[in-house]
Amino acid sequence: MSRAWRQLLLLIGKDLRIEARSRQTMGLVTVLGVLILVVLGLGLGPGKVPSGPSGTVLLWVAYLFGGVLCFEKTMAVERQDGTLAGLMLAPVDRGVLFAAKLITNLLLIAALAVVITAVGIVLLQFDLSGVLGPFVLITAMSLLGFAAVGTLFAAAVSSTRLQGGLLALVIFPICLPLIIASTQLMVRLAERPDEVGAGGYLILVAFDAIYLVMSWLVFELLLEP
Amino acid sequence: MQRLTTILKYGYWVIAALLFAGGVVLVFAWTPTEATMGPVQKIFYLHLPAAINTFLALMVCFIASVGYLWKRQQQFDDLALAGAKVGVLLCSIVLLTGMLWSRSAWGTWWTWSPRLTFSLVLWLLYTVYLVIRPSIEGQQRRAMISAVYGIVAFVDVPLVYLSVKLMPDIHPTSIALAPAMQWTLGYWFLPITMINIGLLAVAYRLHRREALLARPRTAIAVRRSTFHRPAATGGAA
Repeated sequence: MSRAWRQLLLLIGKDLRIEARSRQTMGLVTVLGVLILVVLGLGLGPGKVPSGPSGTVLLWVAYLFGGVLCFEKTMAVERQDGTLAGLMLAPVDRGVLFAAKLITNLLLIAALAVVITAVGIVLLQFDLSGVLGPFVLITAMSLLGFAAVGTLFAAAVSSTRLQGGLLALVIFPICLPLIIASTQLMVRLAERPDEVGAGGYLILVAFDAIYLVMSWLVFELLLEP
Repeated sequence: MQRLTTILKYGYWVIAALLFAGGVVLVFAWTPTEATMGPVQKIFYLHLPAAINTFLALMVCFIASVGYLWKRQQQFDDLALAGAKVGVLLCSIVLLTGMLWSRSAWGTWWTWSPRLTFSLVLWLLYTVYLVIRPSIEGQQRRAMISAVYGIVAFVDVPLVYLSVKLMPDIHPTSIALAPAMQWTLGYWFLPITMINIGLLAVAYRLHRREALLARPRTAIAVRRSTFHRPAATGGAA
C-alpha cells in the first residue's frame, strides 16, 4: 500500500473514531434533519405533501441543512487544540488532507441521507418503490458534489467570523445546480422515464468531476491554522 | 495632465449618456412596435445587452480572482469586487426587465422558466459574494476566500445553465426581429457596454482608495514621505 493511501486511511480513521467516540456530529445533524421534515410536513398539512419523486426536494432541504452542519462540525474538530496546524506541519500532501476530509464528510452525510430518507418515507409517505435504484444513484452522485463544495468552503469559513450557520449562505447558491438537476431528473424519471437516458446522469457526473477537481485544486490555498 | 484626465473622464460619461438618450429615442420614435407583444417588447433592447454585459462584468471578476491567486496583489481583489458589484447591478436589471416581460406575456411577475431561474441563481451567487466579504476579517484572508469563491461561482455558471435546461420552458427560444429592431438592438449594446466599463472603472478606483486607507498608517506615511518630502526645517523636532 502506498504512503498516500496509508495516510488517507489513517486520517479517515481518525475522523471516524472521533465521531464514534463523541457522537457529536451525527446526533445533531440527524435530529436537525428529522425536525426539518416534521416542520415541512406540519406546514404543508395532511394530503398536501408531494408524495412522488418530486417530493425529494423536501428531502433535499433536510440534506442541505444537515450537511452544512456536518461540514462545520467536522472542520471545527480540526481547529480544536491546533490539530489542523499539526496536520499541516506533518509530511502529508494537502491533497490527501482534502480527500480524507471529503470522504469523512461523504460518509457522514450518506448516513444522514439514509436516516432522513427512511423518516421521509414513513412520515411523508414518499413512494419511491418504482424508482428506488435511480433515486439512490442520483442522490449518491449529488451528495458527492455537495460534499466536495462543502469540504472546500468549510475549510475557508472555519477560520473566519462566518461560522455558525453562515456556511449555508456560501454553499447553497453554489450547490443549486446540483439540486435543480437532481430534483428535475427525479421528476422526469417519474413522469417520462423513457426520456431520461445516460445523458441525464452525465450531467451529474460532469458536476461531480468539476466540483471535485476544482475543490482539490484550491483547498490548499484556504487551509489556515 | 490632471485636466486632460478629468476631461476624458467626464467626456466618457457624457458620450455614454448621449448614446443612452439616443437609444431611448430610437426605441420609441423609430423602431416599430412588435405585433404580438406590443410596447412591452421594447424592454428587450435593454434586457439582452444588460444580460450580455452581466457576463462580461462577472468574467472580469473571475479573471481578477484568478489573477489574485496567481500574483497575490490587492488590486486584483479590488477589480474582482468591482466586477461582482457591477455584475449584480446589471443582473438585477436583467431580472427586473425579465419580470416585467413575464407579467406582460404570461400574466405573472414570476415564473420558474429556465432563463429567469438562471438569472436568479446568478444574482444569488454574486450577491452572496458581496454579502460575505465584510464578515471575513483580514484583508488578505478576505481577498483569498473571495478569489476562491469568485472562481467557483463563475465555473458554476455553465452548470446552472445546464441544470435549468432540465426544467420545463415557456420562454421563447428565438424571437424574429425586423431589420429596424435588429439595428436598435445592436445600437443598445453601445451605451450599455460603455456604462458597464465606466462603472467598473469607477468601482475599481474607489476600492483601490479604500484598500489604501485600510493599510497600516505607517505604510501610508512612508509612501507619502517618498513622494512629498517636506522641506528641511533645520530645527529640533
